[in-house]
Amino acid sequence: MRAQRLWMVIGIFGLAVALVSPALAAEDVQIALFAMLSGPGAAMGKMSRDGAEMAAEDINASGGIKALGGAKIKLVVADVTSNAAQGPSVTERTLSTGTISAAVGYGASQMTLTSLPVIEKSQVPLVTSSISDKITQQGYKYVFEICPKGSQFGATQVYFLTYLRKKYSLPIKQVGFVYENTAYGTSTAEGLKETAVKEGYKIGLFEAYDAKFTDASPLVTKIKASGVDVIFPVSYTTDAELIISTMQAMRVNSLVIGGGAGFIWPDIYKSLGDKINGVFSVGSWSWDSKNIMSDPQRRSVVERYKKKFGTFMPEQAGEHYAMVWTLKDAMEKARSTDPKKIRDTLASIEITRGLAAIMQPGKIKFDKTGWNLYVHPTIIQWQQGEPRTVYPEEDATHDVVWPVK
Amino acid sequence: MREASCPPHVSFCNPGRARNSCRGRSGRAGGEVRVGRKGEIYTTTLIQSIVNGLMMGGVYALIAVGLTLIFGVMNVVNFAHGEFVMLGMVLTYLLHHYLGWDPGLSILLVIPIMLGVGALIQKTLISSVIGQADEAQILLTLGLSVLLTNAVLLIMGPDYLSVKTPYKLSVVALGPVLFSVPRLIAFFVGLVFSGILWLFLNRTNLGKALRAVAEKPEVATIMGINPKRMHWLAFGIGISLAAGAGSVLTPFFYTFPSVGGMFVLIAFVVVVLGGMGNIPGAILGALVIGITESLTAQFVALDLAMLGVFILFVLVLVFKPAGILGKGKLY
Amino acid sequence: MAMNDPAHASWKRYVPLILAAIVILVPLAVPSRYILRTLVNIFFFAALGCAWNIIGGYAGQLSLGHSAFVAMGAYPTALLLLNLNIPPWIGFIPGVVLALIAAYLLGHLVFGLRGPYLALSTLAFAEIVHILLLHFRDQTGGSLGVTIPFGGTSVWKLQFASEQPYYYICLGLLGFCLYVTHRIHNSRMGYYLQAIKENQDAAENLGINLSGNKVKALMISAALTALMGGFYVAYFYYIDPDSVAGSDLSIKILLVAIVGGVGTVWGPVVGACILVALTEISNYLFGSGRAGVSLVIYAIILVIVVLFSPRGLIALLPKGSRSYRSE
Repeated sequence: MRAQRLWMVIGIFGLAVALVSPALAAEDVQIALFAMLSGPGAAMGKMSRDGAEMAAEDINASGGIKALGGAKIKLVVADVTSNAAQGPSVTERTLSTGTISAAVGYGASQMTLTSLPVIEKSQVPLVTSSISDKITQQGYKYVFEICPKGSQFGATQVYFLTYLRKKYSLPIKQVGFVYENTAYGTSTAEGLKETAVKEGYKIGLFEAYDAKFTDASPLVTKIKASGVDVIFPVSYTTDAELIISTMQAMRVNSLVIGGGAGFIWPDIYKSLGDKINGVFSVGSWSWDSKNIMSDPQRRSVVERYKKKFGTFMPEQAGEHYAMVWTLKDAMEKARSTDPKKIRDTLASIEITRGLAAIMQPGKIKFDKTGWNLYVHPTIIQWQQGEPRTVYPEEDATHDVVWPVK
Repeated sequence: MREASCPPHVSFCNPGRARNSCRGRSGRAGGEVRVGRKGEIYTTTLIQSIVNGLMMGGVYALIAVGLTLIFGVMNVVNFAHGEFVMLGMVLTYLLHHYLGWDPGLSILLVIPIMLGVGALIQKTLISSVIGQADEAQILLTLGLSVLLTNAVLLIMGPDYLSVKTPYKLSVVALGPVLFSVPRLIAFFVGLVFSGILWLFLNRTNLGKALRAVAEKPEVATIMGINPKRMHWLAFGIGISLAAGAGSVLTPFFYTFPSVGGMFVLIAFVVVVLGGMGNIPGAILGALVIGITESLTAQFVALDLAMLGVFILFVLVLVFKPAGILGKGKLY
Repeated sequence: MAMNDPAHASWKRYVPLILAAIVILVPLAVPSRYILRTLVNIFFFAALGCAWNIIGGYAGQLSLGHSAFVAMGAYPTALLLLNLNIPPWIGFIPGVVLALIAAYLLGHLVFGLRGPYLALSTLAFAEIVHILLLHFRDQTGGSLGVTIPFGGTSVWKLQFASEQPYYYICLGLLGFCLYVTHRIHNSRMGYYLQAIKENQDAAENLGINLSGNKVKALMISAALTALMGGFYVAYFYYIDPDSVAGSDLSIKILLVAIVGGVGTVWGPVVGACILVALTEISNYLFGSGRAGVSLVIYAIILVIVVLFSPRGLIALLPKGSRSYRSE
């Protein structure tokens, strides 16, 4: 009976819908964490989660949100997978309970971009560590970006080169850029090129590569053939590791100033060991910048992280830690858990103390577009198996080390 | 060349100064960044590029022959094949991490283990879709792929794991051309095991039985060969070879749950290119694809490497639809 | 369905109407944006599944690269909207035209191939599109994608603050796809496609124009897919090569049709309900736990589905004599 079959079809449909209606009781202050916990972005998502959870624990251990009578923070964790079309659904579902006061997330920029309309429509403020310039260009009122913008990374890398050149009198004529072809690499590369031209460097190589390549030899061969003195690779994980190891194997000795991500995450040290020492990279957050090392409380955060997770605190973890604390500070000031009030407070707040200020240079203030106007990238150099902040001088805690023969 | 002001670990070469060569840290001839006349660079780069492609092709071959075997004998397109490469990598990593085994040694254990795993999977899961519509097969192997990837994610976490061997960064130089040692080893292992498979199929009775089931299943049954047994043998061998490829990848490639996806597409292209079910075709196809990938990356654009592969693929299919070595089943 | 059957009570004739009414009234009764969003997702993937079904299910030519057509619909729509302020309901037209042309060319190129060779070449086609979209970043934005800002409700631009309008638009599009499928199912072309699917050589011997029918089916399928690509832009506000031209999307589309039941009109709808609901439920129940659990559960259920019902879940439902053509 065709009708009966239709009935069944719609019945399944209705059942499916009914089953996904979530019911969540709310007592504590709820902050949503949107992270990529599965799929190719899972490694990044895990670091974000570790940082956010540690922040929630620390906040609760130190008495919760005092302005709200010591209310505790409950982190509502949601896996946005690594699929950009899945993110909005997960966001919508999490926010639909109406009990979420604010959110942090998403990691990779494309995940943030697809969910921003949902965030804006739901009117729940989001603090993000995604770097795409587009995030703050859409005119949205509910997004706050705590980290440097993609276009800044490239500029910082090139200014650092100029700093090195002047300080150590390096004979550098030609520079090269290679970047992985996802949003991260592409947005950084543009900034790199512009600044290099401004600083008067000759560009010997500027090429995108497939992030999923299995062999860096063509790339490294090009670096070698171009004769560039300095190479700026912008890579994720597998590509970063392959580039460095292939460069070392093929004895290509150009100076490496990496573009962050894979170049500063712990896994590359686990792979290359001491061979990573000497490599520079830009990053959006460093565990040993001056604002952290000079404050015992902040210092203890990175030390405890190291003890707990067995490795230095990577940028995703540090940023998420800062973001959760930023929300805490906003809730203290707003004396409210209402998302709109929190949003308004975030728009005007200036944070100069406390644990949110692990974000360099130690102050946070969001401009009209939602971007943290004080933040800037840092440059690290791998020394003794850990990334050390060497630039800019206001954040540096270590000197550049030239590896000994 | 102003060595005095160069930091010790870096050497800068000025291409404007003809025939100047700076020495790297070691100062050895094999390690020079030689910048000479343009023609010289070009030829060296060309040869180097072909060499790089060949070496990677050896690994692709090992992954592809397993896939083509499975298709040849069982008519199953195994979308989960990349995950078996990943499982091989994970096993090798564990043997390395806990027992200190070198991947070259691990492969001898990984292959038998995965043979058993493959047989088990075949008996329990794959057998139910043999002879069914293609859609059922696709659904099953895709589901299996998601299952394996996420089961490993669940158990081992998302981290990028490394197998550190002493020869990881070693390089052998033949004139100006450099051979990365772990990749060279992978190349040889890939070819050797692919060759062993070919010998097995052509020189042993068991192998011939497999081929019989592949070519004429009804006749094979009449001749007393148990097709079901051949199926799990084929599947087991197929995925164990993929796992073996994973083993030799570990010295120069991160191990992580989603790594399978980076190889499966190329494996499929190779298999179709070589003619489905055709072992020598898969081996040849793998080498050709490896070289194409490398040459396209080197001389066209780095991010168009796969484009070169796909265009070659489409061209071959249009002009020689049964694959470069024609339609053959396991010979 | 025997109309003279006394057991065929008269009220049953109204069932389809009642169900249709429910589906139409849901958004007015259910305020939850999340539920509506889930339903839109179901409609969206059901429509894509229907479109795929025409070439993959009815004609039996399994396409592993259908996301390329989604991208062909999405990119023109998005770029015209962003750069020239052309609304999506006009902007999708160039996309559909592009998809039609591409389908025509692709079909003539690859339909001489069979089985896995054909499937792999469709995959190669999609990957080529993906790579080209990434490479020509000046025109397409490359991996940075195209972001459409949400500027508040605007009927002209098809932007809405609430979910209800999207619900109806997508439902309408699904209805259109179902209608097209229904027409094909009951037409001569439908018969020809089924014949081609069962035995291509026999069909050819019977005088059926293989190439003509297959290409026609692919063109229809591609056009519908591109249409949904246009909707994607209006609904998700952000596209990039990975999300609209990637293999993840291609796989999801064909899974919807396969899980539901290929070669049937309602199969993709069933498939979409199950897959979307399954994704949401497993993410909800397990997504905040250990990484990977939700997808392991999802995969186990997929495997169980195929072991249990290899012809798709719709086969489990009581058969209607007119809903299955081949048996």
